[in-house]
Amino acid sequence: MAPTNPGLKHLSNALATPDQLSNSSSAIDGVPSDLETSIRCAGAQLTQAAGVLLRLSQDIIAQAIVIFARFWLGADGGSLRIYSAKDVSAASLYLTAKLSFQPTSPRSVLNVYTFLLSKESSPLWFVNPRGAPAQPPAAESYILSEGGYQSARLVLFRIESIILRTLGFDTHVALPHTIALTYLQTLGATRPAVARRVIEHLNAALLSPQLLYITHQPNALAVAAIYLATREEGVKLVDGEWWEVFDVDREELGFLVVGMRSTEGFVRAETERWRNKAIPMVVDEVEAEIERRRMMQEGE
Amino acid sequence: MSAAKSRWADDDPETEAIIAQRKREKEEKKRAKLEKQRQLEASKAQPPAQSADGAQGPNGESEPPKKRRRLSNDLDASDSTARVPQNDGQQGQKKRSSLLRFPVREWGTCRHVDNFERLNHIEEGSYGWVSRAKDITTGEVVALKKLKIENTPDGFPVTGLREIQTLLEARHPNVVHLREVVMGNKMDDVYLVMDFLEHDLKTLLDEMREPFLPSEIKTLLLQVVGGLEFLHSQWIMHRDLKTSNLLMNNRGEIKLADFGMARYYGDPPPKLTQLVVTLWYRSPELLLGADKYGPEIDMWSIGCIFGELLTKEPLLQGKNEVDQVSKIFALTGPPNQQIWPGFRSLPNAKSLKIPPTSASSAGNPPLLPRTRFPYLTNAGLSLLSSLLALNPAVRPTAQQCLSHAYFKEDPRPKPKEMFPTYPSKAGMEKRRRHHTPEAPKRGQEAPELDFASVFGGATVGDTGETGAGFALRLG
Repeated sequence: MAPTNPGLKHLSNALATPDQLSNSSSAIDGVPSDLETSIRCAGAQLTQAAGVLLRLSQDIIAQAIVIFARFWLGADGGSLRIYSAKDVSAASLYLTAKLSFQPTSPRSVLNVYTFLLSKESSPLWFVNPRGAPAQPPAAESYILSEGGYQSARLVLFRIESIILRTLGFDTHVALPHTIALTYLQTLGATRPAVARRVIEHLNAALLSPQLLYITHQPNALAVAAIYLATREEGVKLVDGEWWEVFDVDREELGFLVVGMRSTEGFVRAETERWRNKAIPMVVDEVEAEIERRRMMQEGE
Repeated sequence: MSAAKSRWADDDPETEAIIAQRKREKEEKKRAKLEKQRQLEASKAQPPAQSADGAQGPNGESEPPKKRRRLSNDLDASDSTARVPQNDGQQGQKKRSSLLRFPVREWGTCRHVDNFERLNHIEEGSYGWVSRAKDITTGEVVALKKLKIENTPDGFPVTGLREIQTLLEARHPNVVHLREVVMGNKMDDVYLVMDFLEHDLKTLLDEMREPFLPSEIKTLLLQVVGGLEFLHSQWIMHRDLKTSNLLMNNRGEIKLADFGMARYYGDPPPKLTQLVVTLWYRSPELLLGADKYGPEIDMWSIGCIFGELLTKEPLLQGKNEVDQVSKIFALTGPPNQQIWPGFRSLPNAKSLKIPPTSASSAGNPPLLPRTRFPYLTNAGLSLLSSLLALNPAVRPTAQQCLSHAYFKEDPRPKPKEMFPTYPSKAGMEKRRRHHTPEAPKRGQEAPELDFASVFGGATVGDTGETGAGFALRLG
């Protein structure tokens, strides 16, 4: 086996330890694991939507989603009974943008989050199950007041610091997207449809309940996305175990392919499961949901 | 690993055969390894993680730290058993391919600063206080740097974040090692824990009677440029290189430190603040107000450091921006369209009145006046002149610099082990404050500078030297 190459650090990520994967702070605090998974996935979608509205590029958004996911892992991570998913999502996005070439202001971030979390006006299915209103909603339902802004800003900065402390200030996130494009060129499979499909798979994998981005290195994610995309688009690649050229072994590829393919089904099941309910994005709602489940159980 | 058949195996019998073969091989190695491990365990107490070696992570992939240990075990195993190499021989080229592994990293919550006992204060830099401290659990001596976190309108200061981000990224023998970040009781008590080095180059130069020998200068410069080459290869600009930010230990090793101004850059370069780099080490394009610049600004600073190593004195000690520009032109000769095309379009160049002297200069960049560096060889002078080229495009990259003839000619770079040791100021007592100007503060407005007086202004000091420099060049 080849030794590790320190020069490749910028292409790789810190990965979750088995300990971090099997213990979450939320689970210790008694949050059911399926609820935690739902909130984590919804939080990723919230971050993605906010990033789009803030006109941030996808690499910043994807990095923010990875930071968001890392925050909840492990016994030392954040607990959903202490920190609101929406705040952590906003702070992750703000923090990541700050370190990028496209910084954004606290006010823009908070305006966008106020809109996305408005129960009346939000276009997000897990916040506003009725769907985006056909008529433009009343402005009061999604505008952040000046007082609200001042207090929300303090929360944003506080959560930002807490994220940094929880992650030991390691904000580095390497993404598979550009790696995948390089691999595609190497494989001579640069049809736009394939490239497009690869990027779609990689972005969808950000929502994966298996946390693919924090358990696998970006080169493996890139290879799995290429494997899937070329199959779906009917593009034939070279014979032989080409993934080994990109330092991915068969088992890992297999796992990732299954993981990526199941993401769509998972998200569909989620929308079904939460059809007429909002997914709790703040601490109080989490508490209410846990209480509701407890009552249901006692009623039985 | 225990599953009989890979769930993703395809039906092709040949592939299956290969997989089976590979599995057997793995099995054998594992057996050998287990045996080896039993022996090891018998001989000494093992860290608990080791016993889980070879196990699968919850997501089906082996966990990285174990992988690394397995690496050494594998080697041991193949040493101790004859079966494995035999097997490899049979397999021929079909044997297990060696896949590149990425460096293994994890993340974890910050520890508390109380894990360190503060010994003495070292220095207050522009971005924080540094003290010498001892890790209570391991007894190791470290440097503890407290980040200055003022109430900023943007939350956690981006400079501090960049410093941590770039330092974490820049793992190199010639870059100071950031061990971890620890926090105090309050959210804005943030400390960087770094390796402690006995000296900084500035203090050392101040204390020394004689400048470094040419062979020592080469060793130092090679290390500094080596560290910088790595930074630039990772798309990091340091943006505050100066002798007081170069730390040295008693083993002749020198490391880049203080990444308070460092940041990532891109190609094409993003718009950046010009308020970077301490004045004496600041490049002419920055002084002339360029807001697009690249790693060449670090190379200019390297040139200044090179000059300082030669003479023990900072090379260009301007009193302010205008004076700095005039000092630079006094050394290098004034710019013209030939040696620096396009410098006229820089924001602050409009006020610059350049005397019509540019009939001279063969070669681009022109050589610096030899009188300033009497003991430097021709190769050395050519390297220094190219580093201090006014036109950033002409300056060598760090990589080109490393292969310069200057480092290959005699006297050769002195081996690090042969370096003399010096008493450490930082180790025992408070250091004297340097009189180097400070790095620019973030958030300041870039001043609109009037360079009208750069040439021929009676206000500028040291005119005697200036005149002498020009006279020589023209003659």
